[in-house]
Amino acid sequence: MKKFIINIIIFFILAILAGEIVVRFTHAISDIPQRTIDENGIQKYKPNQTGYWKGGDHKWIINDLGWPGELPSNFEDLVLVMGDSFIENFMNPNECHQSTYLKSMLPRFNYLETARSGVSLIEAMEISIENDILNPRHTLIYVNNNDFLESIAEIKRMKDITQLNLKTNKIIRGEMKAPELKKILYNWKLLYYFYNRFTLNITPVKADNKTPKQKNTKTELPINEIKSLLNYITKNYDTNSKTLVFHPNSEMTIVQLCQEFGFNTIILDSSNDKDWTFSYDSHWTCYGHEKAAQQVANQLDKLLQ
Amino acid sequence: MLFNSLEFFIFLPVVFVLYWIIGSKHLKAQNLLIAVASYTFYGWWDWRFLSLILFSSLVDYSIGLSLGKTENSSKRKLLLWISICVNLGFLGFFKYYNFFIDSLINSFTFFGKELSLNTLNIILPVGISFYTFQTLSYTIDVYNKKLKPTKNFIGFMAFVSFFPQLVAGPIERATNLLPQFSVERSFKYQNAIDGLRQMLWGLFKKVVIADNCAKYANMIFNNHTEYNGSTLLLGAFFFAFQIYGDFSGYSDIAIGVSRLFGFNLKRNFAFPYFSRDIAEFWRRWHISLSTWFRDYLYIPLGGSRGGTKMKLRNTFIIFIVSGFWHGANWTFIVWGALNAIYFLPLLLTNKNRVNTNLVAEGRYLPSLKELAQMSVTFFMTLIAWVFFRADNVTHAFDYLQNTFDSSLFSTVEIFPTTILTLLLFFIIIEWIGRSGEYAIERIDWLNKPLRWSLYLLLIILMFAFTGEEQQFIYFQF
Repeated sequence: MKKFIINIIIFFILAILAGEIVVRFTHAISDIPQRTIDENGIQKYKPNQTGYWKGGDHKWIINDLGWPGELPSNFEDLVLVMGDSFIENFMNPNECHQSTYLKSMLPRFNYLETARSGVSLIEAMEISIENDILNPRHTLIYVNNNDFLESIAEIKRMKDITQLNLKTNKIIRGEMKAPELKKILYNWKLLYYFYNRFTLNITPVKADNKTPKQKNTKTELPINEIKSLLNYITKNYDTNSKTLVFHPNSEMTIVQLCQEFGFNTIILDSSNDKDWTFSYDSHWTCYGHEKAAQQVANQLDKLLQ
Repeated sequence: MLFNSLEFFIFLPVVFVLYWIIGSKHLKAQNLLIAVASYTFYGWWDWRFLSLILFSSLVDYSIGLSLGKTENSSKRKLLLWISICVNLGFLGFFKYYNFFIDSLINSFTFFGKELSLNTLNIILPVGISFYTFQTLSYTIDVYNKKLKPTKNFIGFMAFVSFFPQLVAGPIERATNLLPQFSVERSFKYQNAIDGLRQMLWGLFKKVVIADNCAKYANMIFNNHTEYNGSTLLLGAFFFAFQIYGDFSGYSDIAIGVSRLFGFNLKRNFAFPYFSRDIAEFWRRWHISLSTWFRDYLYIPLGGSRGGTKMKLRNTFIIFIVSGFWHGANWTFIVWGALNAIYFLPLLLTNKNRVNTNLVAEGRYLPSLKELAQMSVTFFMTLIAWVFFRADNVTHAFDYLQNTFDSSLFSTVEIFPTTILTLLLFFIIIEWIGRSGEYAIERIDWLNKPLRWSLYLLLIILMFAFTGEEQQFIYFQF
């Protein structure tokens, strides 16, 4: 038994080493950039990082300011493009980013993306304050229904997301979840590969409960809470120079509420078009990004005449 | 719990260490641990169905004891039928109820009558076809006095639910596995190493061969109208290796895990794609099921003793039942019938036992004749697999019709070089190792650094070329 265990341990170590080399060499798992919280309490990425997306077909970069994508050649007539993982867009190469498409369609402006996965609407507003130093001409904030709901602590408290407490009218900053553990996980590629490839089910499941049942009735929108959120935003942030860009299939009630509160809005429409998203992921493909940018550029052009 | 999951990666070492800490001197405790571990393993999927296994174990254990106490033949027959009805009753309800209702409704509709019957929302308990047959083999063997009834209930529970082969076989005979729960099992280094090696090979077959082939087989079968004949043929080829890698991979892992615990399970696959005729194929494919049907259905029906007519009838019955065992769908029945048709010429000409030895024994390469025979046999199975994989019989016929049109000789539209290279590597290794129980069994002639390099190469290939699919196909049977 002793010989068996010793051999197993030695082989296990060799296998881990071999696995680590293979996973790194073949980019079997995406590289994940490291995050930091800046002096204003904004979660962004550590500047000047680069890494491969899964498969190694393209690289992502984090610029000097700690945001994904390249910096514009100059900051004159700057349009900021804000949002969550859709705009962060690690899954597509740089030439498929909103800023790249917008630059090619409306070259008289310069574009800077300041996006990070998990950003809520209220966090986007907070980031926009920090961005005021860049003196942007306009800001586009890409939003979907969840960005409104996740902004409100009373609807569901989410520790890693910046939210607004409607009772106290105070911003609760998002915290980084297990940063040390993530650091280990993202650097030990094999471990991260296993974590991604084989989801660990630590509790037994019922065979018929594996996929959540589709609800027949729509969940009622918390209209009053959303109104309070919009009220807070209009009072505390400059909304005139901002446009909310709504994802296709966004809840029209939310769109109308935003318009009632005086927001500029652009509503993206992907109906009567081929699929904008990946087959395995809800994010947009290059095609989806290009189409979205086309619709945004058309309206932005009129807006900034 | 799947063999290719992180849960199992944690579960197995924990059970292994506990098992050998308990030690071979405490047989009851070891058996109890296996039973508890097996129930945990199964309950991870859905704990509610543990009651079925427990009930099945209780019924067959009690019937076994009762059979041991009586010599009255009518009473013994009654006890046997109770066991058969209970076990097949569960199987029939969970697996075939909806199929029969649907078929009944369709038959009435065909004759212009409407029948109002409701199907039920039934979940098929994973592995029910496997453990039902295993536990039935116990009662039948006790009835036939091939086996003495066991008085060790914990051992019997462990036998019925033995986790390595509980959900997808091999279907073990009580005469082989049950006695192993009554004898001291000691740790043997060579057995354990061999078990790990077989597990590694099984895992490679599953995650590299089967899962990668699955990607293309699914793509082609699900969109068969969009591809030309040569691509459809390639789709069937991918499915042939998907199902072989998936199922024989599972069997290899099951046998390997069992060896770690000191058990020896029966071989389930013997390089079936190197068969020279269809009879040989069926002696090499899913051996535990084929022999189960032979011993408990074909022979009791009269086997080949009653002349040509009986031989033909029994052959058809065994193949159709075997097809139906795989699933409640007409596609499996057609698949079974087609194999029976393939088998008939050999049976009628008494050539069904011509190729019983190893192909190209003692040679590196097969002769041209052997190569042609293997190719023809493989091609025949390929056609049959189309029915096995198709969603329904119409889908299968459409698929075959589109395959064998003029586009069969046009260029394939999908040609995944990496996967085909991996398949070539796999076939070469299987060919070289075909005299062993599994392909890499007999690599002891290599020195340790070379052996370990081969193991590491397999692991590297698993990391580099792992497919997306995770579920094992045979779980659904």
